[in-house]
This record gives sequence, C-alpha cells and structure tokens, in this order.
Amino acid sequence: MKLQQGKPEVMPCSSEPAFQQRSFSLSVEQSFLPDYISGDFDSIRPEVEEYYKAKGCEFIETMDQNFTDFTKCLQILQKKIEKKGLQIDAIVALGGLGGRFDQTMASVETLFHATSITPFPVIVIQQCSLIYLLQPGKHKLHVDTGLEGEWCGLIPIGNACDCVTTTGLKWNLTNHMLKFGTLVSTSNTYDDSGIVTIETDKPLLWTMAIKE
Amino acid sequence: MERVFTPLDCLLPAGNLKLCLVLLNQPFSKGHFHCLWNKAALRACADGGANRLYHITEGSQDSFLPDYISGDFDSIRPEVEEYYKAKIDAIVALGGLGGRFDQTMASVETLFHATSITPFPVIVIQQCSLIYLLQPGKHKLHVDTGLEGEWCGLIPIGNACDCVTTTGLKWNLTRSSGRQREIHFFLQRCIWLFGETIWISLPLTNSVNFTIGCITSPWQCNSFQNSKYF
Repeated sequence: MKLQQGKPEVMPCSSEPAFQQRSFSLSVEQSFLPDYISGDFDSIRPEVEEYYKAKGCEFIETMDQNFTDFTKCLQILQKKIEKKGLQIDAIVALGGLGGRFDQTMASVETLFHATSITPFPVIVIQQCSLIYLLQPGKHKLHVDTGLEGEWCGLIPIGNACDCVTTTGLKWNLTNHMLKFGTLVSTSNTYDDSGIVTIETDKPLLWTMAIKE
Repeated sequence: MERVFTPLDCLLPAGNLKLCLVLLNQPFSKGHFHCLWNKAALRACADGGANRLYHITEGSQDSFLPDYISGDFDSIRPEVEEYYKAKIDAIVALGGLGGRFDQTMASVETLFHATSITPFPVIVIQQCSLIYLLQPGKHKLHVDTGLEGEWCGLIPIGNACDCVTTTGLKWNLTRSSGRQREIHFFLQRCIWLFGETIWISLPLTNSVNFTIGCITSPWQCNSFQNSKYF
C-alpha cells in the first residue's frame, strides 16, 4: 500500500505508547512531542506523564470504559482534523498487534468502530504486520511500494463473508465464502501485477506483511 | 449439560490434566516447554515447530525426541508413531499467537476445525496468552491454579454472539429484562478475573473465543502491567 510520506499532520498518543516513545527519543526529545495524549491514564508511567506535561503537551482524559483508549483517541483525532481543516489520506496506528491476545483483538475492535468515527482509512501496523478493515464493496490495493513482505491474508474476523472475489493474489477467490471453520485466507501471497482487488459483501480484515 | 474445565491446569507441576503437546513455529518459553513436555503423553511438531524444538533443547536433543513431525518440510522426514493408547483430557498447542497476524488468525481457524477433528479441548498458549474456543452451551472454567494473570476476555471471532451470560468476572454479561445481551465485534469492555470460577453460558448457535492471561513460567511470577486494555 502506498504510505503517507513526510511528517504526520497530527501526532496523537494513546496513553500507553507515550512511555515507549520516550524511551526511543531521549536524545532528540524536542523533535518528538505529540499533539496530544489521551486516555484514562492508567498505563502511562508517572515520570513520562510529568515529562510531557512539562513540555506543554495537551492531555485529554477519556474515562468512558465502554471503549478502548485507542477508539477514544481516534474520536478526538477526527475532531481535531475537522477543526484544523487538515487534508488527510489515512490514519496510521503504530503498535497494537503484539503481546496480549485481548489487546490485539481490541485493536481489531477499534477498526470496526472507526468507520463511524472517521471517513479516512485506518491501518494498524506493528513490526511485520499490518491490518486494515475492508468495508463491503470493491477495493483496489496497490502493493508495489517495495515494502511488501511475502505473505498476506483475508480474515472474516467478526462475521462470515458469503461472497468474496479477488485478483492479484496467488490463491484468488471467486464468489467464495470466507468463514472461520470453513475457509480463512492466511499465508497467501501476490502475483506479479502489483495490484490486489477485493470485492466483499461484509466487513473483511486485510492483513499483510511488511518487509523488515 | 455443562462442560467443566481448568484451562491452566496444564501448567501446574502437580496438575492432573492428561494432555498431548503440539509445538508450533513461534518462540515459546523454556518454562512452559519443559512443564508441558514432561506431562505430555504424546508430543508433536507441526512444520517449523521442529526447528524450535531443536533449538530449545540444544545439547540434549536426544532426550527430547517428538512422537511425530508433520508438515511440508523437505529437509526433515516426518515420523508418525501410533503407539499411544492412554486416555487424553486435552491437547495443548504451544506457540501460534505471536509474530505474523495471519498466523495468529490461522491458529484461531484451527480451533474452529478442531471440533470436527477431536473430541478433546484444544488450547493454544504463547507467552502470556491462552486461547480456547467455547462451543455453544454452558461452560465452567476453574481459574484458581494460581497461574492466571490479571486479564481475560471473550472474543466473538467469526460470528456475533447474540446471547452470552457470565458469572465470576469483574464485568459480567447478563440478560437484561426483555433483551439478551449481544456481543458483536464490538468487544465487551475489559474484563478482569474475579474469584476462582467463571461460568459462561452461550446460545446454541454461536461459539466464542475465551482468552486469558497467564504467568509466563510456572515457577517464576513475572509482574504484569497493571492496566486495563487501552
């Protein structure tokens, strides 16, 4: 997939990642200040919170326990995008696919909510994996950036998809059902076209490898 | 009819679960490996799991020969030895929840197929996570082995669950008056363990994935990040 080049327009932090960002940027702190940090602040370390507060970063408390910090961060992000009138192509979330299984599933959950929060595509990236929720309809994915790893997949994670058709994959589907317990596309790969098309009747999770 | 099960009994040194072990191609801890290897009546490697076994037993591989290796290796000959007749309580797969997202989903997919392959419960463990697919009906899970981590969850992977009832959780799911509680792929909010037993009741048409955190080694308690999911 073609990635947004250059500096992100708005750089939010959900409360947990603030600690990891701090660890990486000790020597260049001034260059890596988020536009805001949001959440219920039960994950952020006290010294990290103190540091970013001292730097004047905006802290937005979101206590609603019916949604994850990530979902709530996304809600705030969309409001800021609208308020600033920013021209955006996509929202990229870094982290959220490793470690605890429930946290990985929570990231997927946020993608389901994202369609009612923002019109922009939301992708989640961690290490060698990317996930992106495809809404019902036709999709065309460019996979010729040179950053694509070998594998990709289509995961009917929240519901069965009764009718899926693809091109551009090594193992394509033609009006095929994808359903856990019947057929899930994992360890798929690409043909040489550089383009994958997917038509689905229900929300379907696209996942792909990123070269290390 | 209720199904009673203690998911983490398999990691207790004095646990009673009779189990088979399947090694998958992901990193797994030495603590989990040795505990499960010692207990398993049958030990298997799936594909690159054999390479993981070889590495983790370096210097003493002869003492840790699997019962069979299956897959599409072209450099290792698969060995299937059908000598085992003892009764099995569960099948434990080690690895399969880390690294590539599609491989994690492939592990979940296997749990769906497992119901038509074997009558025994199949659980998948890697590092601090365990997953177990609950079939429609009533389930009673003992969560008092002492190995349970702080978090657990119910994930409606593959389908919405129209009616789920639980007890034993910090945030239980119950039938509200006149309307059943539904889990679509709107994950219910974070769930912490509460007490020693979790009852989960599912409708007859939907299955749901139960996931639980566990301490990474039976004899080494690691402190876990004390937070709800973000």
